Amino acid sequence: MIKKDSLSIDLAENIKVLESIYADCSDVIFRHFSIGNRIKAILIYIEGMSDMEEMDKNVLTPLMLREIGRQFDIQTILEKNLAVSAVKEVSTFKDVTNEVSSGNPVVLINHQSQGVSVGFAKSEKRSIQEPTSESVVRGPRDGFIETLSTNIVLLRQKIKSTDLKTKSIQIGRYSQTKVVIMYIEGLADHALIQEVENRLNRIDIDGVLESGYIEEFIKDHPYSPFPQILNTERPDVTAASLLEGNVVILTDGTPFVLIAPTTFYSLLQSAEDYYGGFIIGTFLRWLRYAFLLVALLLPSVYVAILTYHQEMVPTSLLISVAKSREQIPFPALVEALLMEGSFEALREAGIRLPKNIGSAISIVGALVIGQAAVSAGLVSAPMVMVVAITGIASFMIPRYSAAITLRILRFPIMFLAGTLGLVGIMLGILTIIVHMCTIRSFGVPYLQPLAPIRNTELKDSIIRAPWWSLKNRPHWTSDYNKVRQPNGQKPSPSKGKE
Amino acid sequence: MKLQSIIKKYLLLLFLVFSVVFLSGCWDRNEVNDLALIMAAGFDKKSDNTIELSVLLYIPKGGGNQQDMNSAGGGGYETMVRSAAGITVADAMARLQEKLPRQIFWGHTDIFLFNEKLAKEGIFEHVDFIMRHPQLRERAQIFVSKQPAKEVLSLMPPLERDLSEVLRELGEHEIGMSITTKELAQMLISDSGDCALPWIQILPPDDKNKPKRTIAYITGTAVFKKDKMIGKIDDMLTRGILWIRDEIRLAVVTVKLPQTKGYISVNLSQAHSKLVPTIENGKWKITLKSETYSDIVQNSTHLNVSDPAVVKSLERQIEQVINNRIELARKKVQKEMKADILGFADAFHRYYPKVWNKEKKRWEEIFPDVEVKYETKCKIRRQGLHS
Repeated sequence: MIKKDSLSIDLAENIKVLESIYADCSDVIFRHFSIGNRIKAILIYIEGMSDMEEMDKNVLTPLMLREIGRQFDIQTILEKNLAVSAVKEVSTFKDVTNEVSSGNPVVLINHQSQGVSVGFAKSEKRSIQEPTSESVVRGPRDGFIETLSTNIVLLRQKIKSTDLKTKSIQIGRYSQTKVVIMYIEGLADHALIQEVENRLNRIDIDGVLESGYIEEFIKDHPYSPFPQILNTERPDVTAASLLEGNVVILTDGTPFVLIAPTTFYSLLQSAEDYYGGFIIGTFLRWLRYAFLLVALLLPSVYVAILTYHQEMVPTSLLISVAKSREQIPFPALVEALLMEGSFEALREAGIRLPKNIGSAISIVGALVIGQAAVSAGLVSAPMVMVVAITGIASFMIPRYSAAITLRILRFPIMFLAGTLGLVGIMLGILTIIVHMCTIRSFGVPYLQPLAPIRNTELKDSIIRAPWWSLKNRPHWTSDYNKVRQPNGQKPSPSKGKE
Repeated sequence: MKLQSIIKKYLLLLFLVFSVVFLSGCWDRNEVNDLALIMAAGFDKKSDNTIELSVLLYIPKGGGNQQDMNSAGGGGYETMVRSAAGITVADAMARLQEKLPRQIFWGHTDIFLFNEKLAKEGIFEHVDFIMRHPQLRERAQIFVSKQPAKEVLSLMPPLERDLSEVLRELGEHEIGMSITTKELAQMLISDSGDCALPWIQILPPDDKNKPKRTIAYITGTAVFKKDKMIGKIDDMLTRGILWIRDEIRLAVVTVKLPQTKGYISVNLSQAHSKLVPTIENGKWKITLKSETYSDIVQNSTHLNVSDPAVVKSLERQIEQVINNRIELARKKVQKEMKADILGFADAFHRYYPKVWNKEKKRWEEIFPDVEVKYETKCKIRRQGLHS
């Protein structure tokens, strides 16, 4: 139970209240001491959360050795005795418990209605590493970590302008997780910032352990399988979104930050599209779009053609497929479901497996859905090929959340293909497209800029235009301050002196 | 209460949607292993009023085992021929299905053969089946065979995987005539109604002990008056016909220039021809305008082919040779066979629609007397330098 009451002047009373709050908390330490041998004081901290060496040197030593002068209050102590930069006055029990919980030791002094919290919080931190979920060949190698302050620093280092704003919110009744909204003043739409804040403030949950909790609370369409908020652990991707006028939500305790609003195309973009030259970037995007269709449709098309439209494949191909399918006991649909199912299982097992037995699963996997399955006559060799290509294609999608959506959608389309043939596939595609057209992410149509079409913005979705021609920001994030860079920056060889 | 009814509604909707998918029951689902893939089909005359349908079937052998995966697709490939008789093709097909455990699948039939005897009695009713059946491809090629179709189909070609592949490839060279089902149907309903189909016969086998190890190849053209075959012309004349029909693609012309020893051969790289009809004072005339571009491929004379004067005279000579080829073919077809497989009727119809409508009944009489003039232009593009 936390009292909102302010601290009393009597230290003994304060201690009594705090001890009742921290009843049965063996890790909360109450350290009694006296200032200059006369005035009683107490230091409250949680074991292990604060840097006690610094505390002893800079707080306890000067206070205990202090001579008590005529003037004695918190202000003079702060001014003269505490050689610490991060100090904060606390005046209520709530303040005290907040500070103690975040690892800042609190000093309470008899006859003073205010206490001092000292910013010696020490948290266990992972070092900054290359993000594993989005690796690039060319590009920055730093990734977010679990510590919020470090993550903010990483962004500040990329965008040094004072217009980079942070707004802090606490979510979670018990976890009291710090969530920070970041945006660039003058680029992000105020209505959008307000909306993000409102949606975050509405959340009432006991604890937030990952940004995925928040994502599900603030999604526009809770039942849609498509990710409507982008998550990334790359500071460069986050900074780029900030510069486009997006709002970023950082959550303490997870390296994944949320970016809103999000369109479908941004799920298919990799950071490297922007680093490796626009011709290469465009090519890679097209390749990705093509393999997006492969990942979604290839098994279904294979099933549909083999069971309904045998006339559609070249004769020689049909002959070799027919030959390999001759001894297969299952219909093509069952075969495809079997293989796709076991492939997904293998993939999932590969992720969950302890690292040191990871090689076992790959050997077993290669045997189970490869050679052995074919020679046992359970599946045909072309089906193995189809599954393998589909697997590769789904790994080509740079965002894991989008890739997993496609994997899930593959199965209903396979059913449709097995029951209605190509007509079924068309029905499936139509349903998906219609659904995607109805989705919005924080008010922005999901298929923007293709539907509704905005010709000028296609140059950063269908293709990746060169940097000097990407003059405007996307209109859906900011209608004002649209210009990114002025005209006439296309490099051209100097014409020489006339 | 309200929520429950909404949930009920959605569940009902979901149930209905799934019913749509599953009630269809995969009614036209056909696994590849249940299909009899027909690669080619042949029609023979069985008795006075029955025909025999023979089909070349693919037998999927092996597969699924280790060896087969290593041999990667190719390897063993077997075919068989099975036939059945019936009053019509459709009837014969029904009889044939009785003899086949798998369902007949026409989707990959590339080749249709008509035996000479059957062709002489008319092919229209059979072509109707080919055009009308939904599975059959309009791009399948049609041939007339000297030997019974059943015999031709059972050949085992040494080079290609089966006879249908041999004939398809041969047709694609376009050295002889190459007619697809669609083109045949177009000819049958054209103004003249006469048609021509490639004529094939069996190449004598190299090894007398293995009489089946050979192929059938295109040796000429079967000429049809309406849908009945009336005769055939040889390879050489076929080339002349192809010129008039603007179907020539590949040709090597060898000429001898006056007052020189040896020959010069040229390869046609492009050839186009056009029929321009005129009717003057009741006289029906046609001008064949053709244009060719060719490359010299062999020169066994001592002439310098870089010399423009030599090239000029060579071009004239080639034009002469081409004209002679066309003239020979035209005379045979127009004067002797009186079958308009040259497309004259359509040309007149197109240029003189009104006259045509009045006179089309007399076309049989007019056709043999149509006067033909040639305007052939030949250009030599490349001399083919020695390196």
